[in-house]
Amino acid sequence: MEGALKLWAIIVLVGALNYASRLSFIAIFSRRSIPPLLARALRFVPAAMLTALIVPMVVMPSGAIEPMSPRVVAALVASAVAFRTRSTLATLAAGMLALWIVQAIGR
Amino acid sequence: MRRQPACDEPCRIRDESLADADRPLAPRSRNIGTGRTLREPRLPGTLSLKRLRHLAASPDFRAGFVEMLPACIGLIPFGLVCGVGAQAAGADALAAFGLSTIIFSGAAQILALQLYAAGAPLAIVVLTCFVLGLRLLMYSAAMAPYLAPLSPRWQRGLAFVLTDQAFAAAIRRFNATHDPREGARYFAGCGAALWITWQSTNLAGYFAGNLIPVSWSLDFAVPLCFIALVAPLLRNVPNVTAALVAGVAVLAFGGLPMRLNLIVAGVLGIVAGTLAELAQERWKAR
Repeated sequence: MEGALKLWAIIVLVGALNYASRLSFIAIFSRRSIPPLLARALRFVPAAMLTALIVPMVVMPSGAIEPMSPRVVAALVASAVAFRTRSTLATLAAGMLALWIVQAIGR
Repeated sequence: MRRQPACDEPCRIRDESLADADRPLAPRSRNIGTGRTLREPRLPGTLSLKRLRHLAASPDFRAGFVEMLPACIGLIPFGLVCGVGAQAAGADALAAFGLSTIIFSGAAQILALQLYAAGAPLAIVVLTCFVLGLRLLMYSAAMAPYLAPLSPRWQRGLAFVLTDQAFAAAIRRFNATHDPREGARYFAGCGAALWITWQSTNLAGYFAGNLIPVSWSLDFAVPLCFIALVAPLLRNVPNVTAALVAGVAVLAFGGLPMRLNLIVAGVLGIVAGTLAELAQERWKAR
């Protein structure tokens, strides 16, 4: 399967699975409680899965691993701000500013 | 009409904050039935323009909408990048709109586009996005007790706008109120603000993303949005373990084809976090 058809298949299937996950315990399994081990494991999905997404974007933006780049510095600054403030907006502002400053210095 | 057993105080489980999702889920809250039935909250069961207008005019809805605006501003660059990504992956305008409206999850959209562009087979794309979407399952379970007294239509509607940002805000409101209807209207307001922001920024990114200079490195906004979600979680050993293992594994398995390293790293991280927590509990029990 190629091209537009494949993309639409992705959209529909991922969309349907996403919606099913959102609806799951609210409506589909509303009479059931979540199995304890599953509940425990699910709590680590954000930390694990999002970190797996973040790290390549930060450390290897162009395909090769660059352990010390402006992106790494900016990501560390942003992490500290996010840890303290829990604010998306502050994290974004701090991270982008740090990236621009470090890039400007390096130039 | 389905009747849900519930407590006298509608849906108020315990005065504790679920705001971070970083806490044990509450299976306990599901079986609070004491035999008494709750009166059906009079939320409209059907959608009509009049009812929607009535909903949009309610102070709770407006509060949700307005309080979501800072988060929405933070999502603007993310939405633009998703639109640019759709354009770069060769999606036509309708498919780009389908991505943002049907999937309605930035992380899943970015991941699906990355995998699509890398030529991964359909099954791999869907499976990887599903694992990423497992966190929605957790949000759903945490939200379920609060939405239990609502009509199925409201449940289905609110589930559609259940996202990372709306979840955190709505849970806070549900905990602060005794009235599930108030929380539901607030949740709907959050969802509406996020939905409008997301669709407009995705479209703007698709059609006008090329106007943004590359030197701005706007794509960096995507990991930053994820960092804003993850970093606050890193306050306990199990979550730190999960993040560390996943972060190292995603690089260590970087050689795997079709970006399979993502799903391998995610699963390893989840297992490591779970084991770390179990070990921690056993240690404390001594």
